Amino acid sequence: METRPWFRTMRARALVRLWSIFGEPLWVVVNMGFPVLSSLAFSLLYLSIGAGSYVGFAVLGGVMVSFWGNVLWSMASQFNWDKQEGLFEIYLTSPAPISAILIGMSAGGILATVPSAVIVTVIGWALFHPVVSASWGAVALTFGLTLASLYALGMTLSSLYLVYGREAESMNNVLQEPVSMLSGVYFPSIGQFSPFPFALQVAASLIPLTIGMDALRKSLFFAEGVGAVWLDLVLLAVMAVVFLGISEFSLRALERKGRRDGTIAVRIR
Amino acid sequence: MSSANGVSVVAEGLRREFTTKQEPVVALDGVSFQVKEGEVFGVLGPNGAGKTTTIRILSTLLLPTGGSAKVMGFDVSTEPEKVRRVINMASGAEKAGYDFISAKRNLWFFSQLYGLPPDVAEARISELSELLGLTKYLDRKFYALSTGYRQRATIARAFINEPKVVFLDEPTIGLDVMTARSIREFLRSEARRNGRTIMLATHNMAEVDAICDRVAIIDRGKIIASGTPDSLKRSLGAPALVMEVSPPKSFDFLTGVPGVKGFTSATDDERELSTVQVVVESDAAASAAARRVETEGLKVIASWRKEASLEEVFVALVGRGFKEREEQGGD
Repeated sequence: METRPWFRTMRARALVRLWSIFGEPLWVVVNMGFPVLSSLAFSLLYLSIGAGSYVGFAVLGGVMVSFWGNVLWSMASQFNWDKQEGLFEIYLTSPAPISAILIGMSAGGILATVPSAVIVTVIGWALFHPVVSASWGAVALTFGLTLASLYALGMTLSSLYLVYGREAESMNNVLQEPVSMLSGVYFPSIGQFSPFPFALQVAASLIPLTIGMDALRKSLFFAEGVGAVWLDLVLLAVMAVVFLGISEFSLRALERKGRRDGTIAVRIR
Repeated sequence: MSSANGVSVVAEGLRREFTTKQEPVVALDGVSFQVKEGEVFGVLGPNGAGKTTTIRILSTLLLPTGGSAKVMGFDVSTEPEKVRRVINMASGAEKAGYDFISAKRNLWFFSQLYGLPPDVAEARISELSELLGLTKYLDRKFYALSTGYRQRATIARAFINEPKVVFLDEPTIGLDVMTARSIREFLRSEARRNGRTIMLATHNMAEVDAICDRVAIIDRGKIIASGTPDSLKRSLGAPALVMEVSPPKSFDFLTGVPGVKGFTSATDDERELSTVQVVVESDAAASAAARRVETEGLKVIASWRKEASLEEVFVALVGRGFKEREEQGGD
């Protein structure tokens, strides 16, 4: 694979995402709204039950739920929208590598979500002063790997959504809240403090956000270093690679099937 | 890169069948043709004739179920990656772009899919925008462009990578006369000046007449005639007979008149008359057709002879016009 065209495609797709989001300031505000409000709600809940020392969990949850929302509504749904608009067939008739487009979408999505994450952090810290006891190296590594595996999951979902077409939006709605709950963005959903039975904890562990949240809580609030969260880091790295592989493979398979069955260009308009 | 023997596109026995719940539908049934380098080649036919299927196969979006096709020497079925490096495509129904970024940024994005270096992309966008009259609108967001300017941007996108072969599906559909003309002039000059091969699927006969060097007329998945627009028109022999007839009626009886190759008719309810256009082999056949109309008890209000167009060529070949063919149901 030639690296320069790959990089140019990736960079261009990332910039399109950023230009689109920041070109419409209302979207930036709307994207911030849900994570800020839900983070505030859970923070107040922690305070009201006398668990103020854990209020940082809710603030961290608000940050990560911003990225999860972006993965669902921008990553996973994007190819389906592109297909409806006739953009997907432009990708396919160009020599652009599909992996560059996917990674560009992810990079743009991550950067576009940063303002929302920063606002949640600033508001949460200003209002609730959560106690932080961090191992910053582990925090940075965990955060990076969590985003990598989350967006790789988004890439896999994007190929699935191509199959399910117009039901994609309903699938987002189905996934958003249950996954937020299962993955424990606002409270521990795995481990000794989890309210869930063991089987459900195992199921929840298949979601990268669950592993990422668990490791982030440990490293950000309990100063646990890389040595303590290594298993989480390995799991996140494996998930990132596996989801990336699945997404590329399934998109290629879908392209072959689409060329065979004539389903690549089924547009709504 | 140059094509083999100056031929850019070759289709041999191209066939495409679609599986439906009812029964298999044959969209293309053994289509063969060659398009030369630098040629504007039209595929003309009514809706459902197989034009879009042809374009989709050649642009690697669809696999043929039979036969083969090559673009610049590369097989569209087995070497799609190589084909994609030398082609581009656009559809008139598409107008694809990211709505919330400017036309210029859209074009830049699409240039990057082909790996164009930044300065080359910038120069190409300026050049194409100038040629297509898009320069003033480049900074407008895509959603804010009118249909005509969105289509100009779509055409610019299809030429952004300096493709050897461009596939266009109804590129001027739904556009006003001036925009359609300006796009046709651009296409013509791209083929003439830069030697690009342009393959155009359309049901617009004026478009084919205006810009195509050669045309293949397609009906129900088969090519029924091909050649230059002039040679096809000349093959008819005699000018068509046009009559305004009252009261409106079915003209099926004309098919029995010797020397009548086919006809199309349209009814004007307001004026209570039909205009029937009869494609004939000879002047004698035209006279016979006019007499036959009168013997049916119809009044010929006016009649005249009309130089052949590609529509008459189609009528002569299948007995009916595009509209009637579409009403009968294409493939």
